[in-house]
Amino acid sequence: MERKDQQSPQEETARILVELLEVAINSIVFLKGIYPSGAFERRRYMSAVVHRARHPQLRDYIHSAVTGLRPFIEKGLVDRVAVVFFNSDNVPIERFLFRLMVNQSYRFRVEAADLEFSLRSFLMKLSVSESLTKVLPRGCNWEITAYFRTLPEARTSKEELWVPTDTDQWQQPPLITPIKSMKCESLSVQLYLEHPSVSEPKPQ
Amino acid sequence: MSFDSFQSRSANSNGKSKRSFNSNSSHRTDGSGSGSGSGRKKQQTNQKTLGMAWGANSLSSSRSSTRKSPFTNFGSYMVEKNRKLRDQFEAEASSSSLGDSNSGKSLFHGVSIFVDGLTVPSSQELKVYMLKYGGHFENYFSRHRVTHIICSNLPDSKIKNLRSFSGGLPVVKPTWLLDSVAANRLLSCGTSKGALLAEGGESTKDISQCGGGSVFESGKHVEVEEDPAAAEKYIELKTSEPSSTDMEDENSIGEAHLPSPCRPSASGSSYCLDKASPNSRTDGPSNMCHSTLGDPNFVENYFKNSRLHFIGTWRNRYRKRFPSLPDGEKYRKRHANAPAACQRTSIIHLDMDCFFVSVVIRNHPELRDKPVAVCHSDNPRGTAEISSANYPARDYGVKAGIFVRDAKALCPHLVILPYNFEAYEEVADQFYDILHKHCNKVQAVSCDEAFLDVMDLEDGDPEHLASTIRLEIVETTGCTASAGIAENMLMARLATRTAKPNGQCYIPHDKVYDYLNELPIKALPGIGRVLEEKLKRSHIQTCGQLHMISKESLQKDFGAKTGEMLWNYSRGIDNRMVGVVQETKSIGAEVNWGVRFNDLKDSHHFLVNLCKEVSLRLEGCGLQGRTITLKVRKRRKDAGEPTKYMGCGDCENLSHSMTVPNSTDDVDVLQRISKQLFGSLHIDVKDIRGIGLQVSKLESAESCKQGNEKNSLKSWLLSASAITEEPHNTSSLAKKRADEEIGEQSVDGSSHQLINSTGSSYVHANQSREACLNQVSALPPIYHLDRGVIESLPPEIFSEVNEMYGGKLIDFMETNIDRRSSLSGSMCITSQVEGARNKGKRPLSQNVVHLSSIAAEGTSPETEAGVLGRNISAKLPVPSPETEKANQVRQNTLQEIQSLPVSTPGSSNFNMTTMGADQVDLMPASLSQIDISVLQQLPEELKVDILELLPAHRMPECSSDATLDPPREYCHEKFGKKNIANRLSGSESASENSIWAGNPPKWVGKFKASRCLILNMFSELYYLSGMTGLLSSILQRAFSMSSFSLDASPDVWDEAICSLFELLKQYIELKVESDIEEIYVCFRFLRRFTMKSRFFLQVYDVVLPFLQSSINECYGGYLNISNAE
Repeated sequence: MERKDQQSPQEETARILVELLEVAINSIVFLKGIYPSGAFERRRYMSAVVHRARHPQLRDYIHSAVTGLRPFIEKGLVDRVAVVFFNSDNVPIERFLFRLMVNQSYRFRVEAADLEFSLRSFLMKLSVSESLTKVLPRGCNWEITAYFRTLPEARTSKEELWVPTDTDQWQQPPLITPIKSMKCESLSVQLYLEHPSVSEPKPQ
Repeated sequence: MSFDSFQSRSANSNGKSKRSFNSNSSHRTDGSGSGSGSGRKKQQTNQKTLGMAWGANSLSSSRSSTRKSPFTNFGSYMVEKNRKLRDQFEAEASSSSLGDSNSGKSLFHGVSIFVDGLTVPSSQELKVYMLKYGGHFENYFSRHRVTHIICSNLPDSKIKNLRSFSGGLPVVKPTWLLDSVAANRLLSCGTSKGALLAEGGESTKDISQCGGGSVFESGKHVEVEEDPAAAEKYIELKTSEPSSTDMEDENSIGEAHLPSPCRPSASGSSYCLDKASPNSRTDGPSNMCHSTLGDPNFVENYFKNSRLHFIGTWRNRYRKRFPSLPDGEKYRKRHANAPAACQRTSIIHLDMDCFFVSVVIRNHPELRDKPVAVCHSDNPRGTAEISSANYPARDYGVKAGIFVRDAKALCPHLVILPYNFEAYEEVADQFYDILHKHCNKVQAVSCDEAFLDVMDLEDGDPEHLASTIRLEIVETTGCTASAGIAENMLMARLATRTAKPNGQCYIPHDKVYDYLNELPIKALPGIGRVLEEKLKRSHIQTCGQLHMISKESLQKDFGAKTGEMLWNYSRGIDNRMVGVVQETKSIGAEVNWGVRFNDLKDSHHFLVNLCKEVSLRLEGCGLQGRTITLKVRKRRKDAGEPTKYMGCGDCENLSHSMTVPNSTDDVDVLQRISKQLFGSLHIDVKDIRGIGLQVSKLESAESCKQGNEKNSLKSWLLSASAITEEPHNTSSLAKKRADEEIGEQSVDGSSHQLINSTGSSYVHANQSREACLNQVSALPPIYHLDRGVIESLPPEIFSEVNEMYGGKLIDFMETNIDRRSSLSGSMCITSQVEGARNKGKRPLSQNVVHLSSIAAEGTSPETEAGVLGRNISAKLPVPSPETEKANQVRQNTLQEIQSLPVSTPGSSNFNMTTMGADQVDLMPASLSQIDISVLQQLPEELKVDILELLPAHRMPECSSDATLDPPREYCHEKFGKKNIANRLSGSESASENSIWAGNPPKWVGKFKASRCLILNMFSELYYLSGMTGLLSSILQRAFSMSSFSLDASPDVWDEAICSLFELLKQYIELKVESDIEEIYVCFRFLRRFTMKSRFFLQVYDVVLPFLQSSINECYGGYLNISNAE
């Protein structure tokens, strides 16, 4: 609790944001049904019903991925965090994107409760946005991808968790379906979906 | 251990008589339960259990699979025991051979049998054969010693298992043995007809078939009992014999309990209290009665014997007994008057000590200090659950909820008694008589537990009072009670926990913290296993630790309510009031034990009985309900027979419910609906393991009778038609409503319906209803009325309200013209029209007919229209006292005007615009002064009425008439687009200064000043939509007005498009970085508008490229607006 006072607003924001990302990514993976629903357990996060992976490895992957991002989010280096679902040919089918903007010049104390409350809406919206998403074909896989504004220079140990992705990119600009946006003084988060454009050459 | 074996061995060596003495003495030790003997005995019994468990593990026999033992370390024990058993067998064999030496003595030499499961003849008889004919009998299976496995029948799975397990040992039927004896030679087991596996067809054990199978011959019986090891075997057999299989109750599932009628038991330690409870102990009926299959009165018997049912229905009994119970309201008031309450010790919590046991043994003082438990079945091997245990028994670790066999293992001399429901009722009644005698504020928690609020009592010392009450309870009932005294219910309850057994505890205010600090969290009411587990994970074990955590973080982790509860409870805060008895929310009955059906007939029969039960319960409570819920527990696909005999095992729960218009407690209705619900579930009846029927939405039976008429469809229809026929009825009905509460709903419902059907939005219908309800309770002063609500009232309701205020409402509303001229203007018109309506001169529906018929004829020249329009505008202030005829004339002329655009399809674009301009000149003050939103909420016919009174040139905008479209379409397709393109390019420079800046944003003022109606509307909508500054809320508002005109008039078409383009463009620029969700929502709305409106289609088409390029720039993609639908 005392920790909070020593933290910079960015640190606090990043902490909350990373927590949200972890919960939200768990929920997304549940939503997409890539694993059997039995692999998830119902939990409450900020009194919103969410689903969390039961399998320790899966949970760990998500946890370590987003926690690894934390220092970069804090510095405002991360532009987008994508949860990419791709088929067996590594061609993306659907991407969930979190577009983050941490206000680097914000100097005031971050009210954790307020921020959490506004971020909660992402979870609520996510839980009802299944209809916006596409049904995945069999044999799909997924990964978490982060897009950096600039590549971080300092090589920290945590960074090694992140490797360049070998998932194919789309040739055409994708179609965007926004799910939720939130903006406050210290932070702006947007969650949206990307689907391949109609003119995208079909992977054969 | 060593002592045991020594004892047995010495017994064996000393021969028969000694053995029998041994077994007797052990029983005697059990009975007296004295000193070290009991402890030793306990150990021995434990070991017996162990032996059984080993059998279960080593052999997958059906009955042994039901047994689980918590013990693991038994290897050495078994070695010893097997050796002992062999010794005994040999001793026995030698003695029997001495008794009657037989020629065939060595018939079975070298044969060692193991009997698996139930056989005919029984394993004991087989053992005797083996004794006589020189064979061996193994109590436990061993690959090395056993040569033959004897069994009558096996399920397929076991046959497989046994084959692999037995390593190819012959598995034979007992007849093989008998045949061999008869033939006096060892028959080949492979060819004998007794070979089980050769036959192969024998299938799963049929319980009913086995029911009569097992025969004990008394002569052998005695012999068996003399042998401790064999006696044990005998008990085991008893267990497997279906007629003595214990009945288990389904504690975990809740409501339903079925204690079996107890049978005389073979186990020596069981007491028989036939005198005390003559009814509950009857001779065991056949096995068939324990499932729905065999017992036609299953449901009835089930609940007759259910303890939970007793507890559940006890409350109603209590209510009937103490009907004069002051209601909770009164208490609350008094408490409100005494804020000092929190400082004073005022609550006593009384709880009888192990009620279910102590009531049964109150007349048996000799049992008082012995471990006693109550359970419906005393079968020592059973999986019946202990319902309650007294304190001596608890010292052994026996507690409610554990299986009898485990309890027996913990405490071998545990006395298990059946329920005695009559005694419970009697004692509970005495208990409450005493409480009510001493205190008038009693909250019954259960049949043996209550809270007293003694704050107002003269007798100042609650401790003294508590001890008086406790003393009296002991004297009257012969059972003890404990009391907790504290400042609130929570602390009183916790105090009782400390006070138990038979004591009392007082926690003064200043000790609360100390008390709680060390208290394990589990002790707090409301913290169950799950919550405790969660808290433990956060390293919270005691209330003190819980204390450290902030309310916010508790609420975050556990939800708002639970979090607050935890926070409060950890501080000893409890704001509940004594005497607040919860209303019954639902009444039902559920059976999850012994439910097995063969066919649909069985299940229907069961349902019928369940309905009878539920109906009786409803009647008993004097309640009726409207929602009927059927719950069915269905065996999961992969679930086998449950561990618990006749239990429900692993099930999925299905439920279906139906709401009927009239409350009911009628058996026939319940049956009909439950059958319907049952049918809708489409389940194989064989898979059903439990059925529950529940009735909710309860009303008291008397009010139901009155309410039924009002609620019925007939009255609903009547009242609705009454309103449409004569507006006056509405108000008269409303007055009636004020008189009788029950009627409320039907009338409300109908007016509600009316409003909806006339096209006004749901929200407003609700508001009006709210207003109506206000009127019902008491007419508030006129200046208390919320103008916003009144304004948005549909006209019928408005007139009704107006009437209630004696017509003052109109005046009242008119005095506020200054505030919002446009609104009051519209209200004037509305009310005037209302006036006309109320006079009943002409039914509104007629107007519609006129309009349509005249519209077809209209061919008047433009000039005439202008003149007429002026005429009408002059007439506007005085419309109400018109005769029917005048009205009709006016209507005609109006219609002619309205049809103008239709009559000039051929006119050029130029003409159209000039015409529009002319009209604007002719009618300077017109619809723009009317609040569109109010207009929208008017019923269709009224709207037409008002529009008639308004200048004609506005008509196209408010009309969705398709015939109006072609000319405009023509004009705008042709020339509009070019113009707009020009103008758009011109407006680029103007976009420098943001129109979204400021509060309200600049565009609002700009649009308001515009002569384009649609822009005016937008600025109006800005305010109506709550001034959020969000375009989406404005568009949503516009969208919710379903019949709202979304097209601009031709003259201002281009201007409107440019303005909206600018509005949207700047909005996109504003939001694209941070909130594409908002943009997305806006464009989804716009897209929907395009379906209805050419104007918006054009706006959308113009803005879309800009939107997509902005999005692409920012996000590298295109907004998916069209595909999402």
